[in-house]
Amino acid sequence: MELDKYQKIFIQESSKYLDELDTALIRVEKDLQDQQLWGDIHGKIHSVKGMARALSMTDLATFCHAMESWCKSFQDGTKIPNERIVQLLFDGTDLLKAFVAGKGEISEPEDLERLRSISEDLAKDPEDLVDRAAPEIRPSTAPGKIDRIRVDYALIESLLARSQEIMLLEKTLPPLTQDQISAGLGNWINHYISMLKGLYFQLAQLRLMPVQDFGELFVKTLRDLSKSYNRDVTLEIVGGGLEVDIGLMDRLREPFMHLLRNAVAHGIEPPDEREKSGKAREGKIVLEADRHGDQLVLTVSDDGRGLDREAISEYLKDKMGMSHEEMSALSNEKLLSIICRPDFSSAQKTTQLAGRGIGMNVIAQAIEYLGGNMKIQSEPSKGTRFIISLPLSLSIIYAVLFRLGDYILAIPTSHVRAIENDDSKSSEKVEQFCDLRSLLRMDAEGSGNGHIIRLRQSATSHMPLSENEGLGISADAIIGNMPLMAMPLGELLAKTGLFAGVGIMENGDISPILDLEKIQAAVA
Amino acid sequence: MDIFIFEAAGHYIGIEAKYIYRIADNVSIVPVPLMPSCYEGLIYYRGDLFDVIDMARFMEKEASTLRDDPYVILLKWNAEKVGLIPDRIVGIKWVEDNGRTGAVFNKRGDTVKLMTPDEIWRKLAGLAHGT
Repeated sequence: MELDKYQKIFIQESSKYLDELDTALIRVEKDLQDQQLWGDIHGKIHSVKGMARALSMTDLATFCHAMESWCKSFQDGTKIPNERIVQLLFDGTDLLKAFVAGKGEISEPEDLERLRSISEDLAKDPEDLVDRAAPEIRPSTAPGKIDRIRVDYALIESLLARSQEIMLLEKTLPPLTQDQISAGLGNWINHYISMLKGLYFQLAQLRLMPVQDFGELFVKTLRDLSKSYNRDVTLEIVGGGLEVDIGLMDRLREPFMHLLRNAVAHGIEPPDEREKSGKAREGKIVLEADRHGDQLVLTVSDDGRGLDREAISEYLKDKMGMSHEEMSALSNEKLLSIICRPDFSSAQKTTQLAGRGIGMNVIAQAIEYLGGNMKIQSEPSKGTRFIISLPLSLSIIYAVLFRLGDYILAIPTSHVRAIENDDSKSSEKVEQFCDLRSLLRMDAEGSGNGHIIRLRQSATSHMPLSENEGLGISADAIIGNMPLMAMPLGELLAKTGLFAGVGIMENGDISPILDLEKIQAAVA
Repeated sequence: MDIFIFEAAGHYIGIEAKYIYRIADNVSIVPVPLMPSCYEGLIYYRGDLFDVIDMARFMEKEASTLRDDPYVILLKWNAEKVGLIPDRIVGIKWVEDNGRTGAVFNKRGDTVKLMTPDEIWRKLAGLAHGT
């Protein structure tokens, strides 16, 4: 029983070190002489070895020792590393992961074969290992199921404190007379419920994962794909701070994997070809996350050669019997969406990695299943963009809450430029003023001493707003800037055409979230 | 079949008991602008958002003067969720399914109008929003 407990700790700890090892190896591959990085790699392998020894996993410890010795010699500068050596260390790390998952045992025959082969290589002098130029093609798979997320220590502390406070509430129940019982107990229960709602709000945050962490899961996969195709590719993540429900991100693993594979296999050109056409040798894939209303918008773009329009035309002609005129009549969007048909493939030959003609169809189906949609944009020799819109099942946003008449409304803080007292001076400065009372069909009377909330211009707005003068909306009172758990609009609220979602506050209160784009469209 | 019966604007309304999720009381209902007059607002109950409807206004387009129960009947079916504010809750009765309208449910011979959540939802969705 005790051993089981330690094995669990070993698996958790080693998995963390081995994931970090992958990242460090990717970095050292770009600068083979970085002795500090080699020291870092050495330290991680040494930690796994120490834990394996403590649990008498002798084979695993011996294997780690061989890897560690090499890294030590690169750290000291006594031996010179090359790309072949780094690849061997990547292979060793993969094997260690299989070892760790099997609690020190290797059960797959192919893993046993790899163990023999890698152990033989590790027994040699590293400098005897010749740098091999030809890339080895190996199938790459999506990262494993997302079943763990990083959690802020402050959030755990806050959760513990709140739970403790709820437990202590029992002691705060005052002694009540028969007359007081109804009102007194009612107040106490309301307080208790408010505390529980706060606890739920914070627990819900545990389900959130930054898009940055999601993107980083694919760094090693992208590195392997690049090697296999002899490409030089980096992954850039924009808007990685946006936090999204882990369930949604987990379902996006396979589609994202297919998109990466297609970008490397069909989009990004080999470094020499890129250089000849005036591009940087290193290709770039960008994962960009943004929020539009109640939609999560993930854009995956590459700066490669763009979609193969000839292959699309050939498909339309051969498989769908379309004439040249009919093809010309198709919109660009419709034309590009052909690549999502189940039997479409632009690859000239099928490989282990791509060209089977099912990838884009799988992606389109998965996104449709999640209630989203995908748009494709592509320009020859400039690259391709896949814009995926998905309903945000759950996310935390910061919003400014304000009161207008009987209503409590919210507007995402990212859309707010400034808040000013509503005096004649500030009203004059607002070029575009949205009479929210009239837009919401409310009585004209306001409180008189309200505020003006100045909004930023939405990215998709066509209103010609200058940088200094934004759209202003009126508020009777500002409640504050606070985190809201954003939930998608129901069918009825969506019919109003002005809301982006519904926000749940920490105390369980709720507020509709205004959609800036829709307000701007209504004003325009 | 077991029918949950309540009163609204002088009508007895029955909904098959299997659709009743909870009967909530003393919940705070948040008003939302631009919704039809029978739409009371939103409530957040155990992780779900419910649109809350005043059944008297829904049936007769007038506010009820009879209401004496602070209850909201929460319905959950398929992917939909809605809360109904009755004037008074009668309770669960076993009623013969004889064509879905006009079923007699008590010794006085009162009849109950049977409704499905889908019917209520379709009628709600058909009302003017945003005006």
